[in-house]
Amino acid sequence: MNEPVLRASHLTRIYGSGRTAVRAVDDVSLTIPPGELVIVMGPSGSGKTTLLSMLGGLLRPTSGEVVINGTVITELDEDRLPVVRALEIGFIFQAFNLLDALTVEENILFPARLREGGVAAARPRAKELMSRLGLAHRRCALPRTLSGGEKQRVAIARALINEPKLILADEPTGNLDSRTGQEVLMILHDIARDEGRAVVLVTHDPRVEDMADRILWLEDGHLRDRNEVHHWARDPVCGMKVDEWTATLISEHEGQRYFFCSPRCKARFDAAPGEWTGG
Amino acid sequence: MFLWAWKSLFSQRSTLLGSSLGIAGAFILVLFFDAVFRGESEQIVAYPEHMNPDVWVMQAGVGNMHMASSYIWDWKMDVIAAMPEVERVTPILYFANIVEARGSKLFAFVVGLPSGEHRAGPWEMSAGRRITGKGEAVIPAVLSRITGIGIGDTMRITDHDFRVVGLSRGTYSSANPVIFVTLDDLADILSAEGTYSYLLVDAKEGVSPKQLAEGIRRTVEKVNVLTTEELVANDFGLAMQMGVEIIFMMTMICSALAALIVGFSAYSLVARKQRELAIVKALGGRRGALVGSVVLQAVIVALLGYLLAVVFALLVIPQVPLLVPQLSLVVSIGDILQMGVVALLVAVIGAVIPASLVLRLDPALAYQV
Ligand SMILES: Nc1ncnc2c1ncn2[C@@H]1O[C@H](COP(=O)(O)OP(=O)(O)O)[C@@H](O)[C@H]1O
Ligand SMILES: [Mg+2]
Repeated sequence: MNEPVLRASHLTRIYGSGRTAVRAVDDVSLTIPPGELVIVMGPSGSGKTTLLSMLGGLLRPTSGEVVINGTVITELDEDRLPVVRALEIGFIFQAFNLLDALTVEENILFPARLREGGVAAARPRAKELMSRLGLAHRRCALPRTLSGGEKQRVAIARALINEPKLILADEPTGNLDSRTGQEVLMILHDIARDEGRAVVLVTHDPRVEDMADRILWLEDGHLRDRNEVHHWARDPVCGMKVDEWTATLISEHEGQRYFFCSPRCKARFDAAPGEWTGG
Repeated sequence: MFLWAWKSLFSQRSTLLGSSLGIAGAFILVLFFDAVFRGESEQIVAYPEHMNPDVWVMQAGVGNMHMASSYIWDWKMDVIAAMPEVERVTPILYFANIVEARGSKLFAFVVGLPSGEHRAGPWEMSAGRRITGKGEAVIPAVLSRITGIGIGDTMRITDHDFRVVGLSRGTYSSANPVIFVTLDDLADILSAEGTYSYLLVDAKEGVSPKQLAEGIRRTVEKVNVLTTEELVANDFGLAMQMGVEIIFMMTMICSALAALIVGFSAYSLVARKQRELAIVKALGGRRGALVGSVVLQAVIVALLGYLLAVVFALLVIPQVPLLVPQLSLVVSIGDILQMGVVALLVAVIGAVIPASLVLRLDPALAYQV
């Protein structure tokens, strides 16, 4: 079997202490081989971002271990982590996180300083990525002149510039309209399939289910495999069956979560929740 | 990384410009005060420098002119004049006192000249004529402009009245405007018949000032003999000494101010760019490089301020005396260079707190939406 790109064992992260402590991620273990596209789903606040930050070496776990390509990154100090972040991992964020003052090409080349040969050696790769992602004509543009889809494609090119074996994407389509989002998801899918990179993708988008090798469900900091549990809910307004995992229309009422099939049902519920909950 | 630091800084032009202007303001203050003191100091030695005899002879124990008093017997002049090395001796009487003109009182150097003798000044006239007899005075043209006393007007030195007959150029500073009267008048005022204050001695061809000074020392007792260079150095040193402490204080205060401005602007840049800095960290930005880029930004801000101040000092300060004639300002290149070093120090000091903020910044911030 292939050496896993990522192995996380018993990851726990507790924010705060004492009475106000929050177990954002609770004893999560995870192994991802090369080329696998893993999707992490879960309600807002379930710890997805916290988990991804720890996998990428941006956040230290309270306990547990992360191993990337054989390196135990949870044991590295602040001086050695940057190289791992730059060379082993490609980050893609919901907010794109481009550097405002730099052009498209400069943004893409930014992580290349730490790799062998530096920025100069990475130029051909940047050029290839720009043409593959349809950015060639925006090479010298500044981020503020780009559309959301273009920004995210620049961010993807930047994540790929050092050819990392692991891509971590936290809701990369969250700020995009659904068509552009679909495009971005397809690109990520191709990256995993064609280039053999492991991709961990956090998303709410139900359309990704088909393209994922594995779907993980995170809830209250615990990780569960999608195939082990079914989470069917009933739309309280129209009575339709709704998948809790992929539902994006959610309302809370008296501590209870309700899932909806359409914005129309949600709006009707929100107007007078008591009418639909029988309370 | 530095490309990013550079471009980020210049993408926030108003912050950059505002901070640089503030720093420039602080540095300009220092340069201006420095120029004032230097100008004053140079003006204080204007008289001996322009007279430029080979040597000055004065009372033993006296080593300068500014605020000094010196008396030597007139026969000593005859002894010196008779020396084979000596071409010419010009005596002056000199005292520093208050003069009254049109109700205002001014501190002045009063130089008494032998009648008809021009060796001891004034060196350049701008209006009127030189003094020819008792009761006449030549005053600085600038003094005339400030006080309104013109040619034909009367001024009073102690209990003697003088009529202004001419205006001289280059003889004004607020610490010592030089007024010329006759030797006889000044001898009256000082009750100093039979004495002189300083002798301006010119050597024969082929005799160096040093040789001349040596010769006079051997021949005449109880006098001090200095070359013009030495006398000027003494007076200039004294004058600068009076200013040095004030300039030092000004420099310290203004440098602290500049460091504060640098620190504040670097801090606000860092605070505003927290998210980008977190992204840079997340993308593998190293601690050294992050600190380096903060320092780079601080250095750019400080140097820009410094350059603005230098341009101001070189272009504007020399124009000030045209508007305000009583100020004589001298910009010193040495002091400007010194300030460049101060600017660099200021930048580094200003960058300390922002740099530590950057080091503590949480890269996970990049994930926040
Ligand atoms: N820096 C933090 N300090 C304290 N609590 C935090 C912090 N970040 C996240 N949390 C808490 O941890 C839990 C998980 O958050 P997060 O990982 O952002 O979830 P998700 O990305 O799934 O929405 C939430 O309850 C959130 O309030
Ligand atoms: Mg999140």
